[in-house]
Order: sequence, then C-alpha cells, then structure tokens
Amino acid sequence: MEIFPALLSVITDPMLLFAIVLAAFVGMIVGATPGLTASAAIAMLLPITFYMSPLFALAFLYVIGKSGRYGGSIAAILFNTPGTAASAATQIDGYPLARAGKAGKAMKVATISSIIGDLMGDILLVIGVGFIASIALKLGPPETFAIYFAAFVVIGSVIGKSIVKGLASALMGILVAMVGLDPISSEERYTFGSFDLSNGIGLVPLMIGVFVLGEVFAQLEDRRKNPGETKENDSTQDGNNLTWEEYKPCLPHALRGGFIGAGIGVLPGLGSAIAAFISYGEGKRRAKNPEQWGKGALEGVAAPEAANNAVSGPSMAPLLTLGIPGSTIGAILLGVFLIHGIQVGPTLFLTDKELVYKLFACGMLGIIAYGLIGYFGATQVARLILKIPTNVLYPMIFMTAFVAAYSARGSMFDVTVMTVAGFVGWLMRKHDFNIAAFVISFVLAKGAEETFRQSLLMSDGGALIFVERPIALAFIIIGAGAIAFRVRGVLKDRKLAAGGLGDA
Amino acid sequence: MRAYAEGLVLAAISCVAIWSAWQVPAASPGDTWAGIVPFAAAVALLALSGFLIIGATRQNADEAQGEPDNGATLEIIGLFIIALIYQQSFRWFGYLVPTAIVAPLVLYIFGVRSRIGLALSVILCPLVFHVIFFVLLGVFPPYGEVFDLLNWIQG
Repeated sequence: MEIFPALLSVITDPMLLFAIVLAAFVGMIVGATPGLTASAAIAMLLPITFYMSPLFALAFLYVIGKSGRYGGSIAAILFNTPGTAASAATQIDGYPLARAGKAGKAMKVATISSIIGDLMGDILLVIGVGFIASIALKLGPPETFAIYFAAFVVIGSVIGKSIVKGLASALMGILVAMVGLDPISSEERYTFGSFDLSNGIGLVPLMIGVFVLGEVFAQLEDRRKNPGETKENDSTQDGNNLTWEEYKPCLPHALRGGFIGAGIGVLPGLGSAIAAFISYGEGKRRAKNPEQWGKGALEGVAAPEAANNAVSGPSMAPLLTLGIPGSTIGAILLGVFLIHGIQVGPTLFLTDKELVYKLFACGMLGIIAYGLIGYFGATQVARLILKIPTNVLYPMIFMTAFVAAYSARGSMFDVTVMTVAGFVGWLMRKHDFNIAAFVISFVLAKGAEETFRQSLLMSDGGALIFVERPIALAFIIIGAGAIAFRVRGVLKDRKLAAGGLGDA
Repeated sequence: MRAYAEGLVLAAISCVAIWSAWQVPAASPGDTWAGIVPFAAAVALLALSGFLIIGATRQNADEAQGEPDNGATLEIIGLFIIALIYQQSFRWFGYLVPTAIVAPLVLYIFGVRSRIGLALSVILCPLVFHVIFFVLLGVFPPYGEVFDLLNWIQG
C-alpha cells in the first residue's frame, strides 16, 4: 500500500502538481495535433529533463505520454483525423456521432472511458508490479535472455505490415546498439576507426532523430499529399450534454476495454492500437445494438478509448521490473532513468521503491488532470489546435531537434547522429519498416547481449542452457509461437484475398 | 522493383555488418567472443534480406506499387542536405549564424511566404533558442572554429 503515502506526498508538492497539470495539457495538445505524436514530444523534451530531478522529469514525460494517448481521440472525433493509431478505432463511431451534431457527447464519453481505462490500468499496475518484480529477482541470465528474445520477436513480428521487415527492423536496432566498445572485453565493434563511434550511439539523439526529425520529413511529404485544411465538427447544444442514462450502457464496455487494454499492455510491443481494435471488436460482438456500431454508437467510442488508455500503466510493468520497454514511450522513459543514473530492473524496487510509487501517483493525478481538462475543455483545445499554423510549427520542431540533440551531452557528434537517424527513420517509415521495433530493440540489445554472454559462460559455451531451463524454454517457445501465429494470420489473410479475387 | 531494392540494401548492410563483426578479435580464454551478438544479428539480417528478395521475385505485376511522388522525395532529400550542412556549420560558425540562415529557409520550404515573417525568423529563432537552451538551461553553446557571432558579440 505504498501508493497512498506516495499520493499524499505528490499532492502536497505544488511544483509537482503544476508539472502534472502542464504535462496533461501539453500531452493533450500533442496527441490531438494530427501528425504530432506523444513519442515525438517526449523525445524532444528529453534533454530538458537533464536539468530536473528524476521524479519531476519522469512524471512530466509519463503524464505527457498518458495524456497524448487520450488526446488522439480529440482529433479522431472532432477533426475526423486520428491523432494516434489507436484512436482510429475511436474514429469509427466518433466521426458519425460528430456528423450527427453529437461531437461534444462523443468527446465526453471518450473522456470518461479514458479515465476509467487508464485508472484501471494504473491500479492493476500498482497491485501487480511488486509481484512481477519479486519473480523477476529470482530469474537468472538464461531466463532473462529468453525474455529479451521473446520481446525482440514479439515486437518485431506482431506489429506492422510485414513480419520480415519487422524482424529486420529489430535486428538493425540490435546492430546499431553494438556500435562502440564491447562492455566486457573493450574490443571495438563497428567503429571503423572513428573515435566518436567508439563511444557508441547515444539513445537521446537516436530517439530525437527517429521520432522528431523523421516526423518533420514525413510531414513535409504529407503536406504535398493532403494540402487541405482540417476543420472542426461542430456540436449542437443537445449534442454537447451527456446524461447518466446515456453513459450507463457504455460502462460495461469501458470496464471490459480496461481489462483488455491492461492485459495487452503488459505484453511488450503490442501497444494501444491493437488493444483498441480488439476491445472494439469484442464490444461489438457482445453489444445489444451491434447494428448501430459503426454508425454512431456511444458504446463504440467507450470500448476502444478505455482499452487504448488502459495500456499506459501496465506497459510500465515490463519496463520497471525487467528493464524491457513495452512501447516507444517506455523506451524513452528508460532513457530518463538511465540519464539520472537509476538502474531499471527488479532491483529498482529495492533501491528506488519510493520514486516508483511516486511516479505511479503522478500518473494517477495526471489522469484526473487530463480528464478534467478534456471533459470541460476538449472543444476549446480543438479550437486552439486549429489555430496552430503547421507551416510554422514543423520548421520550429526541425530547429528544436538540433539544439535538443546538442543539449543532451554538448556533443556535435550527437547532432550528426540525430540528423542521420532522422533521415533513416523517415526512410524506414516510407518503406514500411517498423521504427518502434528498431528503437525498442536498440534499447534492449545491450541487456540482451550481457545476459546471453553470461549464460554462455555459465554453460561453458553451450547454447543448450536456454533449452534445459524450463522458464527460459517457455519464453523461447512464446517467441517462436508469436512468429508462427503471425505467419498463420498472414497466410489466412492471403488465402481470403485470393478467394475474394477468385470470386470476382 | 521496390521490394528488390529493399532486399538488396538490407543484404548489403548485413554483408558489411558480417564482415565488420568478423574483424573483432577472438576472445581470450574463459571469455566469450565480443563479436558473437553482432555476427549472429548480421547473419539473421542476411537471411531476412534473402526472404525479402525471394518475396520480390514472387510478387506479380498487379501488386506493383503506384507511381512514387518524386517531388516530395526530392524536397525531403533537399531538407536532409540542409540539415547536414546546418549541423556541420555549428562546428564552423557556432549556433547563431547557421540558425539565422536556416530558419527562414526551412520556413520557406514549409510554405511560409510572408517576407516580414521570414525576416523576423532570422532574428527571433536564434535569439529564442539561444535564450532557452544556452542561457536558461545553461548548456554550453557550440563554438564556431571559423567565426563565432556569440564570441564576437561578447567581445
């Protein structure tokens, strides 16, 4: 029950409370601005957090991530443009509602469901994280490597259009992480005689490059394809108010979505988009009015929104207990922990337990903050976003990327890394490679290598150690199973497509 | 064609990675080889690039992608070249002068045509970023080896 003193401590710190409210507002704006992502905002702000205390920095970025997920629904409902991939599920019913003059009502359902889902995820995180950490403490190097292996495979194969490209992205992330001196023998790897490369590739410039500069390049391309203006869907007076009778049928969907999102959130790499669509599908299957779904059902907004936000808390569990980030935001937060000299993993709950629970408390207060801002001011936020001139915004983001990359370590080499990473990130997106898998694998690679080589030393160089230990074997089977499951799904889709064409 | 190119580029990257991992000296007795993980990852990447190339050969003409937007790609390559020159010029001219030149250029690329706006960006962008990062956050600004405006202003 460490969470209650942590909550009390955070509530009595006005500066921290201000940071939470500010982060909730910033995250909402970023999430609701089409083309901007919470990952990009967090990556850009990462160097600034060097100058903050660890809790302040982590809480600020964590709440931006949470609020950014919710902000996507504002764009999906009010602009008919999903601000995030997950909010595309919200758009299915949110947009028809908005067209019927009920944008305000849909927005309020999205806000309440997001709060329910997010709080459920956080409560499950608080209850379960200590238990997972106690188990993680008992794992040896072979088991830990097997978990890393499963994470690489799941992250690489499950998300994205192509399994091969997803796995290739993960492998490229591993190769980039190998640049520099080997931490055990100090042998140079992939340095090509360069002194700068012998220090390795920094996490912060890589993140800023891939998420921020890469996004600017992508926006430049989008501007040519979609030169039209974004317009807000108006709401009638009646369509703005939400009664309890209207929300009552949404509640079971929000609760179910919360559990689905929390369950998916624990698994690395799956993310909120998958949770939102599964929750939407499951909600429609169990709905009393399935014929209304897709045409403007409030339940169709509640189900995906709750699941989308419920992912946020539990996705921190693998990060904090095993050092395995489940999402790109988790990977960036791992960077913040490392910057502040905090070792993430099972021992975190022995060394910095208070910090972890205070972070959870900040997350919960962040949910309340974005909930209040969203419930009473979502339409005002939408109007504010429409006033932001994107032709000025993206050049400013472009300029910020350079100075932010430099500020991290005062290194010009980092700025070069950021620039190249930006272009490579854009190329990867353009060719349907998986940048999330690339970045997460980059972050995981060092830990995976360490545990792999420790395991080999334990077994005198034999790789059978991963098969002989049951937990390790189980995780390796999970990894192989993930690929097999995805391959089966792809083959099934192809068969269906071929059948469809045949019929035609 | 695009799928072939992707497969070939990946194959080239993995060949370089395999060759470079092979250059890592052998492990001392009782230790593990430092090149084992990069080597294994590079070999796996080569195998995946093989899958991509095989997939490309099976792809029929109907699945071929539409015409790429070469204009947008050229614009992005142009912006990337500006980015490369911009970051390199920090080393030569410090932060202020390159930012004063690049800010209006990038704004123009993104469609800003107001002459006053572009002129203002020459002053405001370096000033605002300098104040936020190098004054308020206390980061030490990059020093221009050829000419540094900040150095000149500060005498």
